[in-house]
Amino acid sequence: MTETVKQILDRFQSDPYMGRQGKVYTDTSDFMRITGGDVLVFGDGHYLVLRDEVERSYGVEDPKYWVKRCRHLESGERRLLKLVFYEKFKLQMGDIKITCYRSPRKEARILDLVRGDSRFMQGFSAEDEKGNTIRVLDVVMGKRLDNWIYGLDVDHKTYFFEHLPRILEKFIGACEAIAYLHANGEKHGDIRRDHLWRETHTGDYVWIDFDYTFDFHENPFGLDIFGLGGLLLYIVGKGFYSRSDIISLSGDENKTPDMEPGDFLLVFKNRLANLQKVFPYIPKELNWVLMHFSAGASVYYETVDEFVSDLRPCLKNMG
Amino acid sequence: METNKILVAIDGSENSKRAVEYVADIVKGCREFEVTLLHIERLPDRDIFPDEDAWKKACVAHRQKIDSFLSDNKQMIVDYGIPQKMVYTDYVESCHSPLAEEPSYCSRGTSIAQDILHVAEKEQFGTVVIGRRGVSKAEEFMFGSVSNKIIHSGKDCTIWVVQ
Repeated sequence: MTETVKQILDRFQSDPYMGRQGKVYTDTSDFMRITGGDVLVFGDGHYLVLRDEVERSYGVEDPKYWVKRCRHLESGERRLLKLVFYEKFKLQMGDIKITCYRSPRKEARILDLVRGDSRFMQGFSAEDEKGNTIRVLDVVMGKRLDNWIYGLDVDHKTYFFEHLPRILEKFIGACEAIAYLHANGEKHGDIRRDHLWRETHTGDYVWIDFDYTFDFHENPFGLDIFGLGGLLLYIVGKGFYSRSDIISLSGDENKTPDMEPGDFLLVFKNRLANLQKVFPYIPKELNWVLMHFSAGASVYYETVDEFVSDLRPCLKNMG
Repeated sequence: METNKILVAIDGSENSKRAVEYVADIVKGCREFEVTLLHIERLPDRDIFPDEDAWKKACVAHRQKIDSFLSDNKQMIVDYGIPQKMVYTDYVESCHSPLAEEPSYCSRGTSIAQDILHVAEKEQFGTVVIGRRGVSKAEEFMFGSVSNKIIHSGKDCTIWVVQ
């Protein structure tokens, strides 16, 4: 006879659990039904679901019903469980529409590839009784890198000279981590500002969430390189700058530097790439790397190695 | 480089069919030209399928589609008056194919353009022909452009880009 949630919790927990006591699931196919107080049993573990994970963006909470915050009852440790959700959707990037796919198999494979590599979130995969590939992830204790940078309460010039060299050095390390994936025939698939975290204790940068994939034949790593470019732009600028932001920075529309379409990103046309125009102390070599992602570019990075090869001398020149 | 050898890169699209038609029309009736239709295999990404079996099925279907395209377009060239013995097809498998039988050369999947140019150089083709989709700068940045890469990287051969 299968155990109830109460029996499982009585067996594992020394402290009484005061929350909802739901159901025991060995089949996670219908993840919408699974919620706080349920227990998932698969592999060699029992996982008490605490709640659905939420993504917070611009003050809005977006629930991710296929991701559950859990407690692994055998160890008492917190875990994130990603359940199977085969999603296919069109991602709009500027004028381009890209078909993206969510792939549990891909993320499971990459977790195996990067095991023990602190540059990536850690975890493993296991199947439930229906063969669904569940990813069991360690929680990264830290903050999104972009939020951490935004929270540095200094003006841009101070940030650039006192903080950016160290940040850039670690960012280059994060890029090399992506190059490692590419060298092994894998891609991250979803490089964006909220998928690079800064671990609190070590200050190390950690990539998370690599379950997206896309099907580009000539430029298989194009979306990853584009993502790294966007991240670099945010890091160097301590944020993104639209046309109205540029006017605000100048304080006076008449003092705003002249801007051309080629000064802005190729894909997100309202985002300034030519940061040297508003921050003249940015060295031309570093600005040149940023300009590879601008509408004025005629040569693009095809590999992460090319990108990093141009970035390293910039770091050296920053002392 | 052999000036009478023409390599036409095809991907099964209407653009590449136009490229084949153009070549057939240019060299029609000329018995001394040798035309090779080349396909660099790009199978569907395995991760867009729920399991290996579904992926393998899709790979088989893709291969059948391209084989049929190669066969039909080879016949089209022959119908234009080029002798059958002067028309070839070449299929370069992906190194990551679940159907591969360890060919001597396979495509690693990082650049179709480089694979095409590798074949052109190795087999001494004098002319490389490719169809062009016509992509925006942003699309070229994101998705890449085989024709643009061939233009930039091709050497010791003539390149025809058919729009």
